[in-house]
Amino acid sequence: MSLLLNVKRGLRSLLRKEQVDRELDEELGAYLEMAVDDEMKRGLSRRDALRAVRLEHGSLDVTKEVVRSAGWESFVEAYWQDLRFAVRILRKSPSFTAVAVLTLALGIAANTAIFTFVDSALLKPLPYPRSSRIVFIGERPPRSSELVGVHPFNFLNWVDRSRSFEALALVQSIPVNTTGPEGAEQLSSLWATSGLSRVFGISPMLGRWFTENETVGVGNPPAAAAHVVVLSHAFWQQRFASDVNIIGRTTQLSGQSERVIGVMPAGFRVGTFEPDLYLPMPIFREKPDAIGSRSFVCYGRLRADVDLATARSEMNVIVDRLGREYALDKDWSVSLLSLRDHLTMESRPLLLLLQGVVAFILLIVCSNLAGLLLTRNIGRQSELAVRVSLGASRQRLIQLLAIEALLLSGAGGGVGLLIGGWASKMLYHLTQGISWGQIKEVGLDARVLTFTVALSLLTALLCGLAPAWQVSRFDIQKTLCRRGVTDLQVHQRLRRALVIAQVSLAVVLLICAGLLLRTFSSLLNVRLGFQPERVLTMQMLVLGDAPGRANEVEAILDRVQALPEVRAAGTIQFLPLGPTSATGFYFEGKPKPAAGDQITEASLVSRGYFAALGISVIDGRVFDQRDRIGSPRVCLINQSFARKYFPDQNPIGRRIVVVWSNEAPTEIVGIVGDIRQGGLSVEPHPTVFLAQAQVPAYITHLVVRTLGDPSRLVKAIKRGIQEVDKAQAVTKIKTMDEYLSASLQRPRLDSAIVTSFAGLALALAAIGIYGLLSYAVGQRAREIGIRMALGADREAVLALFVGQGLISALIGTGIGVVASLALTRYLSSLLYGVRPTDPATFAGVAVLLTLVSLAACYIPARRAVSVDPMVALRYE
Amino acid sequence: MPDKPSDLVQGTLDMLILKTLALEPMHGYGISVRIEQMTKGVFRLNAGSLFLGIQRLQRDGLIEGEWKPTENNRRARYYALTEKGRKRLNNETREWGRQVAAISRILEAS
Repeated sequence: MSLLLNVKRGLRSLLRKEQVDRELDEELGAYLEMAVDDEMKRGLSRRDALRAVRLEHGSLDVTKEVVRSAGWESFVEAYWQDLRFAVRILRKSPSFTAVAVLTLALGIAANTAIFTFVDSALLKPLPYPRSSRIVFIGERPPRSSELVGVHPFNFLNWVDRSRSFEALALVQSIPVNTTGPEGAEQLSSLWATSGLSRVFGISPMLGRWFTENETVGVGNPPAAAAHVVVLSHAFWQQRFASDVNIIGRTTQLSGQSERVIGVMPAGFRVGTFEPDLYLPMPIFREKPDAIGSRSFVCYGRLRADVDLATARSEMNVIVDRLGREYALDKDWSVSLLSLRDHLTMESRPLLLLLQGVVAFILLIVCSNLAGLLLTRNIGRQSELAVRVSLGASRQRLIQLLAIEALLLSGAGGGVGLLIGGWASKMLYHLTQGISWGQIKEVGLDARVLTFTVALSLLTALLCGLAPAWQVSRFDIQKTLCRRGVTDLQVHQRLRRALVIAQVSLAVVLLICAGLLLRTFSSLLNVRLGFQPERVLTMQMLVLGDAPGRANEVEAILDRVQALPEVRAAGTIQFLPLGPTSATGFYFEGKPKPAAGDQITEASLVSRGYFAALGISVIDGRVFDQRDRIGSPRVCLINQSFARKYFPDQNPIGRRIVVVWSNEAPTEIVGIVGDIRQGGLSVEPHPTVFLAQAQVPAYITHLVVRTLGDPSRLVKAIKRGIQEVDKAQAVTKIKTMDEYLSASLQRPRLDSAIVTSFAGLALALAAIGIYGLLSYAVGQRAREIGIRMALGADREAVLALFVGQGLISALIGTGIGVVASLALTRYLSSLLYGVRPTDPATFAGVAVLLTLVSLAACYIPARRAVSVDPMVALRYE
Repeated sequence: MPDKPSDLVQGTLDMLILKTLALEPMHGYGISVRIEQMTKGVFRLNAGSLFLGIQRLQRDGLIEGEWKPTENNRRARYYALTEKGRKRLNNETREWGRQVAAISRILEAS
């Protein structure tokens, strides 16, 4: 109750200050008068009475002040006064304020924008119940660091033997051909085992998920075990107009009739993939490798009492044992990652790099602003000294400066939040091709807001620290006696330290940018091994039995090759610059080696493929119409394969057995050039090419080299395909150039962002050096005048100042180079064709920085020598 | 009687003001005169500490102020005890009596 009253009275005296003041005045006045009356009653004259009262009670003004400052509201009032004063001061120098707010806004905006990404991708929980328990499991080939998919045979063994998981699930995405409203159409579907719903903790919104029985396979692959289907929410809305009576209905979506048993909830994604359909994956207990190889994705949900490390060690034991039991698993290992780590494997290093870069930018901005504030406070030192001598405590002065810094950083934070929100949206739209984990949309939310506010406060602290320290040290008497000539040395030392910090931060950023730029240029100059210009590609899912699949592709190739403007056409199962698949092989006649000893990449290609992609043929022949089912099995190898496995012999005519291809002996008939199959930065691996016509794939990509603009041929090619098979759909119609620029997008983005930030850092550092020297020149005008009057020549004075600035720059560069040596190795996962300690980049940055500092020093130094000695001497 | 008026024991000023006002509503100057008279000049109040005390008591809701004309036709703010202030005064008086008695016993024992 009394607290409430206290607050009420306090607020009253705050809000109705004048009235409260007046009342206090009146009350004290009445008090005084009554006291004087009493004194006069004792016979004193009014004058003496007044004196006596004043002597006893002291000045009424002081009394008033004492009474007024006793309530809590006087603190608020002091802050309010300081705030108003600070606003006035800032408004008095609008250009300073604008520059300060703008640089702060840039620094905070950059941090806000990057934080929205970091938060969405790395910090926010994934949209599944207890998502931290979901893990991704991959198999690791012998002596390799890369992860591949999981073999169904192993999956079944893990399900039987492991105890760490509540559930395990195996999935594979496969396109399906269907007849939609607009003719043949390809849908995306996900083959999944019954555990998927439990692994992700998400049940269908309508109906139910697959039972275990429904995913036990019967019959020939890839026939689904049970003819049932679960729809994604988006597909259900779009194809079935959100019909709630869909459950139980029979559809023809997967190429055969199946019963709809469920609809998943809106927005549910398996990792980052939202397929149109979910189909039960047929797993054959007796013959688990019937549906293929290590091309499946495995997810698991850990039991509540099991952590990742425990699950890892259990799985290691299981995989070890499997490796001893089965040749398939000899020397293979397993890797468990949390789902988040798996999803952000690609974006994490970039995000961490960017967050580091923008943090550096903010530090530079802060030290720059601290320098500006320091200098301004020097100009205000007499004002501050007067305040101290009139009774302001140093604490109050520091409070004033802190409020100024807070105002600046608050304004900067506000503007920065707006720019940052906009920038994060821009960045997101510019980087659609990059996997940012599960981010669907970025934008400002409460978490980002909190981050920005905290950042602004931190900024205020960083900027305000040096000026406050300076104020807490200065000597009033000296300041007042010397009439504003300040303790220059302390100030210059502080500012030099700040400039050195700025330069060294800028150097680190420039070196990062340099390394990324060199990476980008190395990638641009990579020898692809193929010619991507004017090459059209499209994906097909070819169904039917093996001869049927082979014949269909042959017929399609005949049609397409016959089109005018087509120079060559062929197919490959998986296009270059994408994922690759590896398998074992052995030489015919030699004992079969332990699995994993001889690994090769393998690819299914058709006749015409090498011509269509412009890959050179080194020796022998490529596939042609002779090669078909029933003809002698043939294969091609690339140069890396020949070099590695036939160092001194002619491989042509030798026969090998590729484990992948039903283990039939195959004769090597030709050698083709190495290409970048696995991505721009992936060195070519030994590769075997098997004939599509002999080992027909289900998924294949048509590759067509055209004479003119490839997009003009899309219609004609599609028509040709439909003439062969009316139900044959095509998807992913893209040129090879598009794939190429997509794989350059990431390094281009890395280098572009970091380079622009580094440019900003360089500019800020240059401004810092410039500011430092300009100020020194201004302060030392008199000294310069004396030196020149005494006969110092211009060059000597010029050298004095340039040298002074340059020394700071060089120290900063040195610190920056040393810091970079320690830091750039964290960049190595983003680099290609350049070492993290590339001497050329380091030297280049050092030279660049020296030149820029030279320029930044030269301008104020020139001003110094153009000072007229007489003017300078009369200055004071 | 000491040469100089004694400093008030911390916290007793509020009690004295309350006691003064328990008799009748009074303005600031009146309070200080009354206290000086009642203590026979032992306590002389400085205007600063007096008004600080008044402000404090007002904030705590123990007294209330009202502008009224004085006997000399001046305007002054008269303060009166609230119900809460009266209770507080009773409590404090009792407590004070207990403390004084206790302290006296210690001092007389020696």
